[in-house]
Amino acid sequence: MKLRIRLPYLLLAPSVIVLLALILYPLAFALRNSFWFWNLQMGPAPLYYSGLDNYRMVFQVTPFGVALKNTLLLGFLGTFAQFWFGMGIALLLHTHLRGMGLMRALLIMPTTLAPVVAGFLFRYLLEPKGGLLPWMLTGIGFPVPPQGFLGNANTALFSIGAVDTWQWTPFFAIVLYAGLLSISEEVKEAAQVDGASAWRMFWSITLPLLRPIAAFLVMIRFMQLFNSFDLVFVLTSGGPGVSSRTLSFNLYREGLVNYNIGATAAMTWLVVIIVSVIINLYLFFIYRKREW
Amino acid sequence: MQRRQKVIVYALMTLVMIFFLGPILWFILLAFRHPSEAYTLPPQLIFEPYLGNFGDTFVDPGNNAPQLLSSVIVSSGATLLSLPFALASAYALSRFAMRGKEFIMNWYISLLIAPPIVFVIPYFILMSRIGWAGSYQAMIVTLQTLAIPFSVWLLKSFMDEVPLDLEEAAWVDGANRFAAFFRIIIPLALPGIIVTSMFTFVFSWNNVIFPLALSKQSTTTLPVGAISFFASTGVYWGHIAATAVVAMLPPMIIFLLLGRYVVRGLTFGAVKG
Repeated sequence: MKLRIRLPYLLLAPSVIVLLALILYPLAFALRNSFWFWNLQMGPAPLYYSGLDNYRMVFQVTPFGVALKNTLLLGFLGTFAQFWFGMGIALLLHTHLRGMGLMRALLIMPTTLAPVVAGFLFRYLLEPKGGLLPWMLTGIGFPVPPQGFLGNANTALFSIGAVDTWQWTPFFAIVLYAGLLSISEEVKEAAQVDGASAWRMFWSITLPLLRPIAAFLVMIRFMQLFNSFDLVFVLTSGGPGVSSRTLSFNLYREGLVNYNIGATAAMTWLVVIIVSVIINLYLFFIYRKREW
Repeated sequence: MQRRQKVIVYALMTLVMIFFLGPILWFILLAFRHPSEAYTLPPQLIFEPYLGNFGDTFVDPGNNAPQLLSSVIVSSGATLLSLPFALASAYALSRFAMRGKEFIMNWYISLLIAPPIVFVIPYFILMSRIGWAGSYQAMIVTLQTLAIPFSVWLLKSFMDEVPLDLEEAAWVDGANRFAAFFRIIIPLALPGIIVTSMFTFVFSWNNVIFPLALSKQSTTTLPVGAISFFASTGVYWGHIAATAVVAMLPPMIIFLLLGRYVVRGLTFGAVKG
């Protein structure tokens, strides 16, 4: 009977070992080198032990604070917008009028694109001279910054958020629609018999019953937005200046453009700590009751 | 539902569809426009299609044709490599009661939502140290940080649906666990295995961060290749569009084929569509 106990662990072992190796190497690498001065432009190996200098450099040389603020803003606003737009569309799909099945199948197309491709689409659409969107907006009298939405420090970050919202709202829509389907008719009928209005039903019945799905979606999307790199890379490269720089893009710049491996390593650990805190706070508040 | 309400719903859905599909269609048109007409305003919907953008990028000189091949190699490689690991782990999580199961499941998902850029830079150094810099295997192996956890979750959700009775019947007939696994679980979970592979393929196909850091010119993938047309001498929109349209087709077709499994795949099996 020994084998029966060991078998599941034996089956898990290969994937766990491979993944541990793939994660622990970068984390150990980053921890060690975060205390060493190492710039690839000056040599292929760490030069000298530098104590906490790299951590100081992250805050003083790279725009870490701005990037953190941008990243959180992108995460909160993007997730919020996508959830509610998606919910609205899910309710429209849930009317089950003719043609909704086909529309649902086509609606998901933006989500299938590589984020860089979504970036191409909107960089083209948003070109200040010759782009379709500025032309249309100017036509209806909406103010368009002369450098374009991507070239203006006040609008660049929001434009990235808008493109991400375009890409991922359909994801919320079809998953929340699947959630709506799983709510039993009996519950809804009971509420209707009690004379609940459609508005009241949505807030008191539909939304609470969707909570487990919604909590899962929000966690996944918030973190994907938090990790935003591809869109930033294609749309603004973090600019103009550092106005739309995210933590991931800051890491990329410091590591693969400036080749400052030491500071990148220090930043890696700061980001890992921030991410762990966020995920654990979220799990604590949402899943105290263990709903999935 | 009243007629007036129906009209409102359809009107709103029309706006929704234009908003979400319009940009894609507009970009596909760009791929068929002559480069000199990329910025023609007011926009022209009817024009003579021009195939030169595809010719330049995929035929002559065709610099992007090898990138298409690279994309296929890297995505298929990552998918195939993840399968045996994921099958074994998903089976264990689906069929055994064990301590720490929930912890393991959460651990897999934490990898899926961790910032990939954090891993990429150390891999970049590691790969040049072990002589894998710019190689296909560098991308295929590192993509496992996403491919394995994703496949484990999705495959487990499919294996949970294979009735235990069938497996037990096979044991009674004298089959051991391994035989039962290959004779019962694999065939019955086959649709799920195919669906999982297709999703893993798409996610690897659309991934840019790993090839951006770990490929070299001869092994780089199609989406990364398209980025290079943002040159210092100008933006070659015709070439970007032609390359990107080819890069976007496989995921779109796969999602249309997957139909009712899309919800499940995108939520790692957590929501059954």
